[in-house]
Amino acid sequence: MHEFPIVTVGPFNIELASFIAITISALVTFLVARLAVANLSVDNPSKMQNFLEWVVDFVHNLISSAMPLNRVKPFLSLGMTLIMFIFISNLLGLPFGIVTDTHHAHESIGITEELLEEKGGHVEIAWWKSPTADISVTAGLALIVFVIVHFLGLKLNNKHYLKHYFHPYPIFFPVNIIETISKPVTLALRLFANIYAGEVLIATILMLKWVGIPFLIAWQGFSIFVGGIQAFLFTMLTMVYISQAAIHDEDDHH
Amino acid sequence: MSWHWESTVYAIIAFGILYWLLSKYAFGPLFAIMEKRRELVLEQMNTAETSRKAAEQQMEEQKAALQQARKEAYEIIEQARTTSSKQADEIVQSAKNEATRLKDDALKDIESEKNKAIAALRTEVGGISVKIASKIIEKQVDEKSQEQLVDQYLKEVGSK
Repeated sequence: MHEFPIVTVGPFNIELASFIAITISALVTFLVARLAVANLSVDNPSKMQNFLEWVVDFVHNLISSAMPLNRVKPFLSLGMTLIMFIFISNLLGLPFGIVTDTHHAHESIGITEELLEEKGGHVEIAWWKSPTADISVTAGLALIVFVIVHFLGLKLNNKHYLKHYFHPYPIFFPVNIIETISKPVTLALRLFANIYAGEVLIATILMLKWVGIPFLIAWQGFSIFVGGIQAFLFTMLTMVYISQAAIHDEDDHH
Repeated sequence: MSWHWESTVYAIIAFGILYWLLSKYAFGPLFAIMEKRRELVLEQMNTAETSRKAAEQQMEEQKAALQQARKEAYEIIEQARTTSSKQADEIVQSAKNEATRLKDDALKDIESEKNKAIAALRTEVGGISVKIASKIIEKQVDEKSQEQLVDQYLKEVGSK
């Protein structure tokens, strides 16, 4: 497998491929959105504006399936950002990879003599990947969701939010804690595993040289599908968790 | 694959900035436009509803006006019919009157002609009688007594 370059800046070990990928994903997301809203029009929307409005409708439907319709609005922006950023991130590693060969140690990017020794004097360095194919990045996204969910739970739904940890009996407290912890962990792992597996398989197919071309085409097509599904799932689950923690139906008072 | 908490932090920061930028420069304006369109559609629907109502009302008014006109036309025809029949009656009546008058006049004429003829006949008959009588009683009566006799005779005839 490829090695990823790591730059040490002071106390930080910065993994370059992830940083580049996150930056580019965010930039592409922002550019797509900006392009779509470049010439906003009420009665004569451009094709890009139509597309983004379709995404807005899609996300709106998605959120409203998780919570009452009148509570959707504040989370629309969050849902849009999540689904667009994750989808673009998932696709980023698909079309190509940037891999450099080296036979020398480059201490500055984490290629040490020992590693070179271990790999038989030949190291391939990958500069390009999906940011979501990195557990550190998906953990960051899941952490954002975790913080939002529990902050909103405490702020909007204080009493019921705290009560749900002892539901239905106080003895269930440890179970509820496990449930609470497992939510963001599964969120991060699911996204990471799907995308990482896709990239590993692409790397594996590439070893077949030209014989693998049909498989590569098929798998890349499927990976686009998987990327869409995972972006949808992540957004959907985020909204479900927010709904569970923060939105409390008035009917439950009885 | 190894864990790098720097990537996690960077992902969080990048996502936060992206969320802020998108909300401010992309989704905010887009949502505003979509809301504006929703209002526009609502307003147009309201306008359509009002104009539909106005059209309905106008239709109703037109219908009423048509009904009124029809009624008036019927009245006019009815009036004309009564007037004409009255006129015809008048004409017939006056013609009848005229005929009666003419008939009466003719009867009166006939009566007066008859009387005239009777008077003429009486004079004629008197003359003839005198001649006959004078022929019969010639020389028996003088001129004076003869005249007295004729007058008396005529009076007798006239009173008959």
